[in-house]
Amino acid sequence: MNPRALTSDILLGMIPIALLVAIWQGLISFGYAPVALLPPPGQVFMRLARQLANAEYERDIAATLFRLFAGFAIAVILGVSIGLAAAASPAVNAVVRPIVRVLAPLPKVALYPALLLLLGFGHESKITLVVADALFQILFKVVLPAAMPSVLTGCRIGLVISCIVVFLAEMITSTDGLGHVLVTAARTFQAVDMFVPLITISLLGLILNGLLQWLRSYLLRGFPEV
Amino acid sequence: MIEIDGVSQVFQTSGRQSHLALSNISLTVDDGAFVSILGPSGCGKSTLLYIVGGFVTPSQGVARMKGKAITGPGPDRGPVFQEFALFPWKSVLGNVMYGPRQQGVKPAEAEAQSRRLIEMVGLKGFEDFYPKELSGGMKQRVALARTLAYHPAVLLMDEPFGALDAHTRTRLQNDLLNIWERDRKTVLFVTHSVEEAVFLSDKVIVMTRSPGRIKEVVDIDLPRPRRRAELLLDPHYQKYVVDIEGMIDDTSEDELHP
Amino acid sequence: MMSGRKLIASAAPLLVCLGLLGIWQIGALVLNTDSFPTALDALRAVPSILGDKESLVNILASLRRMAIGFGVGLAVSIPLGLMMGRSRAVASFFNPLLMITYPVPKAALMPIIMLWLGVGDIAKTLVIFLGVSLPVVFHSFQGAKAVEEKMLWSGAAMGLSALQRMIRIVLPSALPEILTGCRTGLVLALITMITSEMIARQSGAGNILFNALDMGQYDTVFAMIIIVGAMGIGLDAAFEQLRKRLVRWSEPRFDLPLSFS
Repeated sequence: MNPRALTSDILLGMIPIALLVAIWQGLISFGYAPVALLPPPGQVFMRLARQLANAEYERDIAATLFRLFAGFAIAVILGVSIGLAAAASPAVNAVVRPIVRVLAPLPKVALYPALLLLLGFGHESKITLVVADALFQILFKVVLPAAMPSVLTGCRIGLVISCIVVFLAEMITSTDGLGHVLVTAARTFQAVDMFVPLITISLLGLILNGLLQWLRSYLLRGFPEV
Repeated sequence: MIEIDGVSQVFQTSGRQSHLALSNISLTVDDGAFVSILGPSGCGKSTLLYIVGGFVTPSQGVARMKGKAITGPGPDRGPVFQEFALFPWKSVLGNVMYGPRQQGVKPAEAEAQSRRLIEMVGLKGFEDFYPKELSGGMKQRVALARTLAYHPAVLLMDEPFGALDAHTRTRLQNDLLNIWERDRKTVLFVTHSVEEAVFLSDKVIVMTRSPGRIKEVVDIDLPRPRRRAELLLDPHYQKYVVDIEGMIDDTSEDELHP
Repeated sequence: MMSGRKLIASAAPLLVCLGLLGIWQIGALVLNTDSFPTALDALRAVPSILGDKESLVNILASLRRMAIGFGVGLAVSIPLGLMMGRSRAVASFFNPLLMITYPVPKAALMPIIMLWLGVGDIAKTLVIFLGVSLPVVFHSFQGAKAVEEKMLWSGAAMGLSALQRMIRIVLPSALPEILTGCRTGLVLALITMITSEMIARQSGAGNILFNALDMGQYDTVFAMIIIVGAMGIGLDAAFEQLRKRLVRWSEPRFDLPLSFS
């Protein structure tokens, strides 16, 4: 990749983000938005920095990450095993394929209440939800064409899905985790504290995505450009 | 008709490298001439064609059409590509009618013209078929009809038969010549097949390996109309082929023993 | 006369549904807890939900919001994706912004958006719009990127301007991929709708679900799950039929949607 082109790409990409932050600040400075509803970016990022050093918030992050990784890991193991089994045996394939096709569009989040009833309000229900969602992503890319590049793409998407789902589940019912932090802040109308977990999950997603990308390019060193 | 004047082309490849694809090409193409550009892979012959077509801007030099500099694509220079490039969401008839409709021809007239063209390229009965239902040879016939439909002064053909099997290829070569005989358009034909170039053309421009330069321009003095069966046995034809193949081999030799 | 194999293949989805319901039924009977009703119990509760006027109005209102969010989402995302696909500068401009918003569940924005825009329809529709946008942009981008350059050149030679080429060549050529994105977007609209209602708890299907949960009406909970699941599968199947008809001319490929979550 031409290094000069890459730099200009990155610079170009920073513009809309910088613009958004500028508009954000502008809305407050010019009085279009009350500080209670829209805290200034400086305040948000300072709070974020402080929270990241705060032990209690770190526990929430840990809870979210734990569910995320547990769910994702289980989904990967299950997904790849089922996928390989389907690739190896036409009989398995014939059974698995229609199931995947039918269940894929079903909003698995709708199952969450059922999981709550069956598994309680703690980690298990959330992990299972993550598994349910991420699993299908991985299966979709594994059962249909069983090849390494696709598996890794499926994993990458599955990982982001896991971030999304775990956060949502924590928002709906939880006693800890990033989603819970957001809901608590909402109930107490603390706008600043609502932004912090959102930015955190975004950063987490970006970092994890980046790691997987790196892993993918490492593992796919020899492959032609995918 | 076409003038190429001191054209050079430099490409930026990944990693700050630049690659000289064409070096100082100058040539003229007369009205109504069938000219082939022949050379080994990578010699820039397609690039030269794209420059004449206006799809690529030369790094240096200028290409002119009827005296005016070429600055972009236009209906006076109609391309036919190796990849066919048909519009898959339109039927055969829809594809061929596209150009005339764009030029403002009324639908009824455009359809009539197009049907005639489709019959001329041998696809009568296939007007309502979609590209995905056609074989490679048929797709190329459609591509040819589609380009002819908007009456370009020049036909730019980029290894049009390269993706086809040998049998289809020879059939299409014959058909192309038959169609060309009717109104004798100017044709610029890129190929890496010596036999094809000699069979089809009035003039063959032999290019060297990258960076592409003109090695030799050979006038093909064979009578028209040309019949494949006769030509294959004609010693003049055979000599042309052998000579030109020798030129291309020489090029390779130069590379190995500088 | 359809061969036996083909018959099984087309009946497969139905068989899968029946099979899963069967497993559910057996599992519930085995577990025998109050909180896990049998499949039959849940199915019996479905008509009462659909028959209840207030619930029905709620659900229809949800669907209406979903449709608007979906429609506006398409109107914005498809042109954006197409432009990103054809212009490297545009792609670089928007890419990081999109990457940042990808891991954030759009439904999670509900509390903040509600804070700003109140509890009305606009907030919910906005969130759905955001949820739909990402996959549609992505697939439109992919579709536009993959358009054969020679096709565009052929169009240019015919005299089409850049704008005309975008609308009359890039758009139809990318349509199969765009529709795949729309298919994903449709299901995401449904999911965003449900989850935002679960979070915001004002009205709609998600709200009914959690109200039933709070009140211990477990049959209703599972009945709602069936209804929502059926909506998801139904919408997807209907859209897939539409898609197939719109792009009959395209070469068959593996059309893998970006995500269904």
